[in-house]
Amino acid sequence: MKLRRWGIEAFVTLCFGLSHLPDAHADVSVGAVLPLTGSSASIGEDQRRGIELAVAKINAQGGVLGQKLQVRIEDSGGGANTALDAARKLATVDHVPVVLGEFSSSITIPVGQFLVRQGDVHVNIGSSSQQIRKIGPGSFSVIGLDNLSARFAAQDVFDRKLRRVAFIAPNNGYGQGIADEFKKRFEALGGTVAALVLYTEGQSTYRRELEQMARANPDAYVYSAYGQEAATINRQAYDMQLNRSPWYGIYLTMCTSDTPPQIARGQIGLEVASGGAGAKAYEEAYEAAYKEAPRSAFGSYAYDATMLSAAAINYAHSTDPAKIRLAFDALGEKYAGVTGTISFDSDGQRIAQPYEKVSFKQTVAAQ
Amino acid sequence: MLQFLLDVLIRTSDLLLVSVGLSTLYSLIRFPNVAHVQYAMLGAFLSLAGQRAGLPLGLAAALSCVLVGCLAVLLNIFVFMRLLRSGSAVAMIGSLAVSLIAVALVLSTAGSRPLQYTQDISAPLTLDGVAVSSAQAGSIACGALTLLIFSVLLYRTNLGRSMRALASNRALALASGIDANRVTNLITFASGVLAALGGTMLGLTESVHVNLGNNLLIPVFSAAILGGLGNPLGAAAGALLIALAETLVINVDFGSLVGRSMQFFPVAYVSAVSFLILLVTLMVRPYGIFDREVRRV
Repeated sequence: MKLRRWGIEAFVTLCFGLSHLPDAHADVSVGAVLPLTGSSASIGEDQRRGIELAVAKINAQGGVLGQKLQVRIEDSGGGANTALDAARKLATVDHVPVVLGEFSSSITIPVGQFLVRQGDVHVNIGSSSQQIRKIGPGSFSVIGLDNLSARFAAQDVFDRKLRRVAFIAPNNGYGQGIADEFKKRFEALGGTVAALVLYTEGQSTYRRELEQMARANPDAYVYSAYGQEAATINRQAYDMQLNRSPWYGIYLTMCTSDTPPQIARGQIGLEVASGGAGAKAYEEAYEAAYKEAPRSAFGSYAYDATMLSAAAINYAHSTDPAKIRLAFDALGEKYAGVTGTISFDSDGQRIAQPYEKVSFKQTVAAQ
Repeated sequence: MLQFLLDVLIRTSDLLLVSVGLSTLYSLIRFPNVAHVQYAMLGAFLSLAGQRAGLPLGLAAALSCVLVGCLAVLLNIFVFMRLLRSGSAVAMIGSLAVSLIAVALVLSTAGSRPLQYTQDISAPLTLDGVAVSSAQAGSIACGALTLLIFSVLLYRTNLGRSMRALASNRALALASGIDANRVTNLITFASGVLAALGGTMLGLTESVHVNLGNNLLIPVFSAAILGGLGNPLGAAAGALLIALAETLVINVDFGSLVGRSMQFFPVAYVSAVSFLILLVTLMVRPYGIFDREVRRV
């Protein structure tokens, strides 16, 4: 009996000991929550590719802390609940110190808030709502927020002599933020937002929203919508012949990623630029790996976030989130990324964001 | 004005086939079948699957209608008729469960993203300056034609007479030798076909989406109840009235009331109109506005 008890104790001790032995070849892991399914799946896939390219480059250069970097990618499904479950799994099961994500502001905000409460580092790679600023210390944005994009869009639309516009965006944190900011900036310049419509996400039709916008008889339609919802909006606008007036897309690649070229052709807009040092090398690596040009600029932001995270872990000489956070602050004074120079303000938000004027020919291209 | 009429007709055609099928079915099987709107969603997805498998859209839609019709019959025989023995409330809850299962199945197999049929992108038709896409024109024509055929079926064939007899006085109809099971199965099949066709048409004019059925639930039930549940042509009139009310509400500019140049009722809350009509109808005329006609039948 004693022997049996001793045997069980030895077995338990052995298992416990093995599970806690330091692994000489353990990878350093960071996490990512991306919309790999749902209405922004096309952008999510581009973000995944950006991360994949960064990981390949980092590991080719010797990895992080002398070990290989691994990014554990979870699907948000385009919904906040699934995204939170994914973030919880990354933080409490995988124990990653840094999590990148998501794309939609209404998902990024709760994910960021959860990670900050956990004491982990959150890196926003695609959302631009002003509410992101309030997530808290430990959350960083490598992409500029809506105060910057709305200001650029308002000025650009006004410079094109379009004075009376109808505006549509999703009825969520992102849409409300960009709508308010655009209206404020555009009307300050002397323009008029004659109709402002916030659409409910996940509908199979937006015809009635478009009818209300058309009633305003605008010079142009300004919109910002997630890929597959934008595809429905664009097709129905085409059916209603609303495309006879100019269509201006804020983040045009997001707006047209799932729209047939025949329908999207002629649209104008703004896009986050990825014209920093190494941008050309990124594009070449992307084309070599995926046999096509980058689908959007958002992959390059995911790329920069991954590179910056790896640099921060190396700088901190640790995978302790508190030390990595301090490293982000230090590196974020002037980090040279493929999307340009990344500098954080006191809230951890990117200070200067390069945008470019684009139009849709066969794809989105700089004007 | 033409734009307004066209908008009403497009919305009517969205609701027409599904609400007519729902109301017809109710006349024989006395419980509100919540799963009926999911037949439309399943029909849209099956048509899409058929097209992606290489079938022409017309053939894929026909196949989808037959499959959904068969599914409706099977569900009726093996699920709803059994539940109905315990009461119409139990059957309705059962249909809600079936509805949720259908949504979960589609969500797990086709995902949550809106999908489109492969169709040529053609320039829309223009009627006196008002644009209408060929899919929308086709949907209106298909709705009107199907309603005509269905009316002939109901009022000019033995099956239609048998169905109306069963709906009006079941005991007397059975005593006169009508095969109730056969009539019920055929009408259930027809209502499934109508729903699948309606869903496919919606997929053409809008997109194929897992929420397609859920979005129809309130307006379709409102239309069927407004027309008097069990009265198929009443449901068609109900669909027209719901479409008229919804279109009117979102087109009224009440900007002068709030001191703005333009202000419309937000589209996101337009389903409240259907709720309101449903509520008022249930309070004032619980058997629908064509109640007398139903009782005469």
